[in-house]
Parts: sequence; C-alpha cells; structure tokens
Amino acid sequence: MAAESERVDRSSHSMDKSITLPPNEIFRNLENAKRFAIDIGGSLTKLAYYSTVQHKVAKVRSFDHTAKDTEDDPLYEISMQEEILARLHFIKFENAYIETCLDFIKDHLVNTDTKVIKATGGGAHKFKDLIEKKLKLRVDKEDEMTCLIKGCNFVLRNIPHEAFVYVKHADSEFRFQNTHPDIFPYLLINIGSGVSIIKVESEDTFERVGGSSIGGGTFWGLGALLTKTKRFDELLQLASKGQHTSVDMLVKDIYGGSYGSLGLTGDLIASSFGKSATADKEFSKEDMAKSLLHMISNDIGQLACLYARLHNLTRVYFGGFFIRGHPVTMHTITYSINFFTKGEVQALFLRHEGYLGTIGAFLKGAEEDNPNQYSWGENYAGSSGLMSTSPDLNPMQRARSGTFDMLEMDRLERQLVNLPLLQDPSSYVPDTVDLSEDALAREYWLYCFEEALDGVVKRAVASQPDLPEAAERAEKFRHKYLHKLQTLRHQPFAYGSLTVRSLLDTREHCLNEFNFPDPYSKIKQRENDMALKYFQKAVKSLEELSWEQRQFALVRGLLAGNVFDWGAKAVSDVLESDPEFGFEQAKRQLEERPWLVDAYDQWLERLKGPPHKCALFFVDNSGIDIILGVFPFVRELLCRGTEVVLASNSSPALNDVTNNELQILTERIAAMDSVIRSAVKEDRLTLVQSGSSSPCLDLSRLDKVLAGVVRERHTDLVIIEGMGRAIHTNYYAMLSCESLKMAVIKNSWLADRLGGKLFSVVFKYEVPPDKKHTTLDHVPVTPS
Amino acid sequence: QATSVDRSSHSMDKSITLPPDEIFRNLENAKRFAIDIGGSLTKLAYYSTVQHKVAKVRSFDHTAKVGGETEGDPLYEISMQEEVSARLHFIKFENAYIETCLDFIKDHLVNTDTKVIKATGGGAHKFKDLIEKKLKLRVDKEDEMTCLIKGCNFVLRNITHEAFVYAKHADSEFRFQNTHPDIFPYLLINIGSGVSIFKVESEDTFERVGGSSIGGGTFWGLGALLTKTKRFDELLQLASKGQHTNVDMLVKDIYGGSYGSLGLTGDLIASSFGKSATPDKEFSKEDMAKSLLHMISNDIGQLACLYARLHNLTRVYFGGFFIRGHPVTMHTITYSINFFTKANFVRIFFLMGSSFFCLIHCYFFLLYLDPNQYSWGENYAGSSGLMSTSPDLNPMQRARSGTFDMLEMDRLERQLVNLPLLQDPSSYIPDTVDLSEDALAREYWLYCFEEALDGVVKRAVASQPDLPEAAERAEKFRHKYQHKLQTLRHQPL
Repeated sequence: MAAESERVDRSSHSMDKSITLPPNEIFRNLENAKRFAIDIGGSLTKLAYYSTVQHKVAKVRSFDHTAKDTEDDPLYEISMQEEILARLHFIKFENAYIETCLDFIKDHLVNTDTKVIKATGGGAHKFKDLIEKKLKLRVDKEDEMTCLIKGCNFVLRNIPHEAFVYVKHADSEFRFQNTHPDIFPYLLINIGSGVSIIKVESEDTFERVGGSSIGGGTFWGLGALLTKTKRFDELLQLASKGQHTSVDMLVKDIYGGSYGSLGLTGDLIASSFGKSATADKEFSKEDMAKSLLHMISNDIGQLACLYARLHNLTRVYFGGFFIRGHPVTMHTITYSINFFTKGEVQALFLRHEGYLGTIGAFLKGAEEDNPNQYSWGENYAGSSGLMSTSPDLNPMQRARSGTFDMLEMDRLERQLVNLPLLQDPSSYVPDTVDLSEDALAREYWLYCFEEALDGVVKRAVASQPDLPEAAERAEKFRHKYLHKLQTLRHQPFAYGSLTVRSLLDTREHCLNEFNFPDPYSKIKQRENDMALKYFQKAVKSLEELSWEQRQFALVRGLLAGNVFDWGAKAVSDVLESDPEFGFEQAKRQLEERPWLVDAYDQWLERLKGPPHKCALFFVDNSGIDIILGVFPFVRELLCRGTEVVLASNSSPALNDVTNNELQILTERIAAMDSVIRSAVKEDRLTLVQSGSSSPCLDLSRLDKVLAGVVRERHTDLVIIEGMGRAIHTNYYAMLSCESLKMAVIKNSWLADRLGGKLFSVVFKYEVPPDKKHTTLDHVPVTPS
Repeated sequence: QATSVDRSSHSMDKSITLPPDEIFRNLENAKRFAIDIGGSLTKLAYYSTVQHKVAKVRSFDHTAKVGGETEGDPLYEISMQEEVSARLHFIKFENAYIETCLDFIKDHLVNTDTKVIKATGGGAHKFKDLIEKKLKLRVDKEDEMTCLIKGCNFVLRNITHEAFVYAKHADSEFRFQNTHPDIFPYLLINIGSGVSIFKVESEDTFERVGGSSIGGGTFWGLGALLTKTKRFDELLQLASKGQHTNVDMLVKDIYGGSYGSLGLTGDLIASSFGKSATPDKEFSKEDMAKSLLHMISNDIGQLACLYARLHNLTRVYFGGFFIRGHPVTMHTITYSINFFTKANFVRIFFLMGSSFFCLIHCYFFLLYLDPNQYSWGENYAGSSGLMSTSPDLNPMQRARSGTFDMLEMDRLERQLVNLPLLQDPSSYIPDTVDLSEDALAREYWLYCFEEALDGVVKRAVASQPDLPEAAERAEKFRHKYQHKLQTLRHQPL
C-alpha cells in the first residue's frame, strides 16, 4: 500500500478500522527522527522516536542607542528566529497496522545515522524479523519490566497530572492527583495477561514482589469460553450491563442477611459463581461477564492491598491493558481497594500508562543523551489526551482511541523544580478552580475561550504582516484549537484536570505549533516604549508624597498598571476602542477601599517594621504594568534595603513581559534612575527566568536557577501579581514566608463568583503562622 | 422405608437405597442432636450410649478357705459384663438426602427427652422448617465460625494425626503431624463455597482476618458452566485427567523461555485461561477443569501465605469441603504455598475431619460440658477414615465417600496427658516404624496380620464357649477386620 501518497483531508477526524491512515498527521517530524523504540503488546503497538522540530521564536534585541537617541526609534528590535527544539513522539496503534506503519516510516526516514531500534513487550520477538526487514534497523531487545518502571518514573516526574483516582458517580470521573515531589517508593500493579506486582524504591531499584496468574488474560479467556464473545472490549461492555448477583452467591444467599459477628454485609460476594454450581438454569452473558469481572478485580485489589501492607507502601498505581482507561475495570479495582484497605490506600491510575514500556525502551536507548537530566513537558497540541471509553460517550473519539493515539513531549530548556518556599509541596495545587469538577465554570470558560478565538486569530495574523501565508496558518490554528475545545467539552479530563491555566497553555501550544510564537510582540513593544517615557515623571510625583501616602499610591499604581492586560477580553475591548485610555483613567476605574480582599492595613503595618531581606516578584504584563506599576514599587523596596528578584516568563505568553524584554527594560530604566542603576550594579536587583511560558504560574515547576537564587538570598517575601498568577492560580497557595498577592479582576464572571464586580481588587497579604510572632513583636520604626 | 440392605453391598450411589441402619448407628439411645448444613453437605451428630460387653476379672475370696489353696483353683474369676459407654456419632451426607435421613431418624428415635437440635451452617435457616416439622425438635442456631474454630481446636488437641502435610510424589502422600502440645497460634483457611481466613490465638480468641470469594463454589460453579458437569467430585475427576498447559498461558508462551531477570521459570502460569482468549478452538473439559483448579488453588495458597506473613504465623491449616481429602486440591494448594514461601517460612497442614469441626464444637455446646475435660478417641471400627479420591484407586470406596461418611468417637474413661518425663513432647513419636512411609514393612505387616486372622477368630470363638452365636459374631469380626486391612493396603492412612 502506498501510504505516503494518501493525503487525507485534515478535517477528517473519524478514523475507524476501515479507512485509510493519515500517516503524515500521525508520524510527525519523521525526517529528523532518531532513536526509535517499539513496544509490541498483545494487541497494541507503541512506537517512540526522538526528533527535532524547527520553530520560529521571537527574539528582542536592544538597538545600539549610544549612536543616536531619537524620539521615533523603537526601544528594541524584534526578530523571528528559527530554533531547534527536541521533541519526543509516542504513537500507539493496533497491531493490525504494524506493516503499513513500518512502510510509511521507511519511506520517510531521512536520517541515516539510526542503526538500532529498541524493542520491548511480549510481541517483540514475533515481529523482530518484519521490523529488521522493513526498516533495515537492528532490533535490540530491552527487558520489559525495566522499561515499564523507567517509563513510569519518567511520566510521574514530568507530567504534573499524570495520576488520578477514579470516582464513578462524580461530575468528573477522573480526579487528578498532584505529583508528590518525591515519587518513591510506590507499588505498580501491572495487569496484562497476568499480574505483576512491582515495588519501586528509586530510579534504579525495583523488585517484582509478587504476581498472579488471574489477570486480564483470565478475564478475556474465561469470558470468551463463557460468553462466546472473542473481543476484550465487547466483554467489558457485556460486563457493564450485567448483574453479578444472579451468578454470585452473596452472604445473604447463605445466611439470609448479613453475618454481623464477622462484619460481613449481606451484599458481599461469598462465592463467585457460587450460584451456577447448583442452579439448573441458563445464565445471561452479561451476568456471567460481570461476575467474572468482579471476581478478577476483587482478587487483584486484595493482592495489591496485601502486598502494599506487607511492604508498607501507600501509593499504588495500576496499569496494563486490563485497565487502560476502561471505566468498568477502574471502578471495580477502586471499589476492591477501598473495601480491603478501608480507605488507607487509594487506587491510582496513570494517564499515559499505555506508553510506559515504549518510553522506558526509548530512555534506555537514549541514555547517552541523558534524558533524565532535562525536564519535559506534555505538548497539548500534539497529544491526543486521555480518551474515556465509556460506551456511550463520544463514539467518534472512542473509535479513534482504538486505532491511533499520540503523545508528544517537548524537552524544556530548563530543569524545573519546586519553589523552595512552598509550605507543603505535596499538597500544593496551583489551580484555584478545577473546571473538570465544576460543570458551570467549565461551560463558562470554554465559551469564553471560544468567543475570544476570533480576536486571537486576528492578532496572530496582524503580528506577521510580512508573511503572506500567515492568514492560512492562523486558520489552521483556529481549527486545531477549536477542535481541542470541543474535545475538552466532552472529555474535560483529557489532559489532566481542566483549568483556566490548561486552556491558556493549550492555546499557547497551538499557536506555537503554527509558528505564531509571539503574536503580541509588536503591541508589547509599543506599550513598553510609551510607558518608559512616563517613568521618570511617575517616580517624581511619588517622591513628593508623604511616606504613608506613597505606600498607598505605589499599591494603587501597581493595581492600575495591571488593568492593562490584553489577555483579558474586557480590557482588550476598552484598549482597542479607546487607545487614549491612560494610566490615570485606569486608577479611576479601580474599586475604592475597602477592596474585595483587603489586607492593605496589615501590609502597611508590616512596612513600618524592619525591611525584608529579599523579595521574589513574579511579574505580569509588559508596558504600563511592569514599567509604571512594578518598577516604582520595586524601587521603594530597594530603598528600604530589601533585595529584589524579578521573575519573568522564559518564553512569550500573551502580553506578559518575557525575561528577554525585561532585561532591556531594566537597562533602560537603570540608565535614567540611580536607585535602579546602583541596585543592578550591586546585584541587589536580579532578573531570573521563571522557566514557564504560561500566563499562569505553577510554583511546583520553576527554573532550577530561580530556586537556587531564592535559597541563596534567604527570600522572605513573595509577591505575585495579576489575575493569571494570583487568582486563576495560587490564590490558595500557602507559602512558608510572607506573601503578597495582588490582582484586579478583569472578568465579570469571575468577579461575580468571588462576590465582587468588574475591576474589584484582591490584595492578599499573608504571614505563615510560625512567622507571625516575629513580625508582630517587632519595634515599629518611624520612617523618615 | 427402613429397608434393610444386604450388608455386603457397599456401592451406594444416588439411585440406590440407603442402608440407614448402618449409617445411623445406635439411634435408639440417641440424644443431643446437632446438625450443620452447608451449601452442599449436611453433617449430623448425636450422642448415644452403647451397650458393650467387657471382660472383668475378679479375685476369688481366698480368705474363706484357709489353707485351701488347692492347685485346681484359678487365680481369679473372669466374667463378661455389660457396660454402657458414651459415643459420639458424626455422619456426613449430601444435602439431597436430607429429607430421607430425617424420616429415618424420626422413625427410629426412641428417646423422648430430646427437645432441641442445635444447628449451624449457612443452610440452617433454609432447612429449619423441614427439620422442625419432621423431627418435632426445636432448631437452635449456633454461630458457625465459633463452632468451626472450637471444633478445630478440639480435633487438633484430641485426634492424634489429625493434621498432615501432603506430598504427591512421596511414597506416602500423607505425612501426619504429631499433635503439638501448644496448638496456638495458627491460621485456619476454611475453603467452603468461599474462603474464610481465621487467625486463632487461643481457645477463645480468634479473628476472621480475611477471606475470598474465589473458593470451592467458584470451582464448582465455573466448572459446571465450562464443562456442563454438575457434580463436584466429577469435576475434580475431570481435573485430575487434564493438562492445564493447553488452556493456561505460560511464561514460555510469552517470552519463549524463562524470564530470568525476574526469576520466573518458563513453566510458570503467566495467565490462567490465557490461551482461551484468542484462538477459535475447542478445549477439553478435562483441561479446563484442571486449569480452573490450578487457578483457584494457587490463588488460595497465595492469599494464605500473604496473611500468614502479615500476621507472622507459621502454622497454617486448611479445611473445608474443597479440601476434603482430595489429593488434587491438596497437591495444588501445597504446590502453591511452596511456590509462594521460598524460605520454608510457612508449614501447611490439612485436616482430616475438617468438615466435622463445626459440628463437633456445636455438639459440645449442646452437651453443656467442657469437651476438654475428657479425652476422646477415634473409634476405628465405626469411622470410615480418610478417603483418597485418586480417580483410579478403589472406585468402590470413592463412590461411597461422595455420599456418606462417618466418624465415631468414644469417650475415654480417663483423661490422657503426656508423660511429664518426655524430653520433647512435640517431637515424641510412639511408633518405631511408620508403615505408611515404608512400603516393604507395610506389605510384610499387613500380610502378617492377615495370616494371623484365622488364629484370632479361632481364639475369639473359644473365649466364649457358652455363647452359641459367638461363631457368627467372630465371622463378622473377620469380615470387618479383613475389609479394614484391604482398605489399608490401598490407602495406608
């Protein structure tokens, strides 16, 4: 079959068994692919490869201003550069497609360095010859269990919402777990044909502590014998319709009720299939399948719980084809674990468990590249996400999940770690509202993002006026993002918990995918230019105020600056219709005190005390926000003797100021302000990258350098500014030092939810309980 | 109804009439009934008194005739006396016979003092009305698990060689354990329809620490669905002829050999019934039954090991109808335990009279006496003994074991204890040669006893010259003992 000649319309998303593959959509970036790995299971093949992607990135570069300093010259130059990004591709397909897929890969593989393909899984030896013949690569077998564990460690470490618990009757069936910073030790129960129980204690230490021959193969095999149904999925579907009580003997069938003295309830299964021993009747396929499912799930659950207790482990992950996103099996396993551990142990499932073997095999092959040295991030644009296989839900996608499924991970420039100042890293949840659990909020935000899409497309096109195909690419972006939104409407759990942050991040990934790395670059440039011109004037007017007046003016200025935010729809409307909308007007828009959340008095009291040692400031927007709001505030902190670390995004997101831009801005401000100049010179003002490219902030995934600086400087104050960082995320974050969260609510729905109105102010000043004494006991110092 | 059946007919299957007078012995004086009705089997117990002839010797009064010590006078006088001894009867039969049995008991029950029948087991509530109607006795329910544990403690203490380990390929399949003076703590795995796992710490302290729904009922139920064979014993017989490797997926079926790095041998079952998932082929009943048996036995063995390890127990006893002396189930469970406990951490034992425990204890409840006050001995003449259900061995007896099974125990006159001077009571074995493990010695001694039988019969008759029916009774004795010897030749247990 000439697979490469089949160009399939991109809008066709329904791919069932009978239709042709669109391999160019599935096997992406094959040209530069290397380090292949393949995991062939009983029915599914998982392929992995590493490739590099050429991406456009927006860079800013300062002009040489020493020569001439004319008014009309822009502050800095924006250029688009090509950058090479490392990406991991994982593709899952049914074994039936293996030959077609190998043919396609062979035809598209340009890179000739590759000599070896790492293989794992039970089917590896069966397809060895075919692979070697087709791809002309030597098949190098890797130990299955080692691959599985390596893969599991990798996803647990790199994908924030990898693990989830299953709750059948909740609004959202999937409840994602925060990844504990220390992922070890844990128990992995892999339910393939049989069951393997593995205790994992560190990256390289694991032990198969037990196993069982009663596994997925038993359900399949016995199920096939009992019901004459040969397909695993069909068996599960039968089971989901059956009544096990007609086949199983319950406690009440024997004792007429519960067995109180032993604490056995009447509905407990006393004997699986106990009724079919003597009753001379026919049993329905559905009932037998259900009883079988219960029998096997309960048995595995019991074994899991016993091994967990024997080895003193509380984190138990389940994987293998028996689980693989099947709500029925996840439910019965969860039920069994709850029954046997009385809630002490939770059954955890993994979003990417089907890929663990391939990921592990790939990592084995890529050991010389040290993949574990880097942090990796799931690319929402290129990954298909978790599919619910609920029989009635979204049949179009279910069909697809059965055939092809993709996961792409980008290598991040920087290694990401926890902010050392988190009070309890294991319980930290960045997001304020979990949209997958809140149907109303979900509806609103999905609608909101859909509404805003036109504007985003327009701005994307406008950002590349010189490129004629920009309009075409922008349409592709629109199509992809719209499709993602639709998927999320049906399956809000596709990429972990659905949050405003994940919606924003998905949009950024999609924009990048179609080479719109920074649609706001020009707007940011113009705004920065304009704001810089007012800087000195603003500082001068602040200095004329009394100490107490000045403190308040600084806070108001910071809040007003934050109103300038192209990311929020209400604001972008005002800005676009009235370009003269200025800083002073913004201040007038602000809510009068008392604010919606108002801890200003406590903050003022604190300022009367001794200065902070070092403040870490997560900044938000470009332009008026950073230059007229943040810098004067920072200047005051520096004057008080507090060191300041400014943390900004590593790459663009909306109109947020990037580290790159902030460096230029700081230089320019330093040139006109002696306080800033000496602070930069004496290293009391430092700029760091956050490691993020999101309009929101995940304090558990920050640049390692930032964490180091925070520790070195004994940071005792964290300031978080803006709606994305202080309200959509981190609103409830507990820090081990003082913190200040400031934002103006520029979304009427959110304002309503929080009990305020549009432009309501949140000013949250928090002191952790153990630090309260020292701050209250201080001797007030009268400011000069 | 109460037909007297030819005593030599031992084949009783479903279709033939019961010889109830052989089974329900000494009913005339029976009192204190207890019944245990399980999912498939009924166990009945009663206490009765047996008139027995005993030989007594009495010294002549020599004081009367002074100096009259004539040569012709014997030293003492021998007399035959009737003595009444207490005996416990335990009978086990399939639930299908329950009505017939109740009718027989009703017709033969003479003693009218009995008002109550103690009942236990899951089926007690189901048959309550029937029992009350038939026997005119009030059914008094007792907690099943308490009965089970107390019964187990009782047999472990009173029946020497109650527990044994099973080794399939040894010369003797069964290796009996001496009763350990301290029987606690132990783990009891009772495999009935489901599985219950008890930790027993003392006479009165026990806890159900776990259980499983995969038990005897699952073997029976799934087996019936897969093979269309409705009888439990037949299923076991099918299983003993099957090849599980045709149905199970082994490690070598997946990896082409062993999985060395994980220490999994190629012959290990990776997935029970794993081969029946895909190929469109028919599987034989025997193979499916064998695979099912392995699956269930392995699972129970594994759970037993895990609970033993969790609770730090080294002695594990297995009982319940799934075991019931079936070599196939005992073998698979033993294999499973050995597999799961590499370091010989756990010792497992199977209990002979296991299906009687519950009843035994229940029975003593009824007697309002402390069973531990007396010592009891198994009456070998009245008990049917452990039946090996090896398919090809002694089919006549196997058929019987499926229907009726008896245990009789005599109350001993005196309480028996260890000689305090034994160096190590737990390792003390009275017998010098264990004939069940020494085939040559066994052959010799069985032959020897058979040879001697004629002489014994002759001597018995001669001992009662005044009783005309002595010769007839002596023949009955010959018949019974010879039968026992034959049984022992086939099943040296």
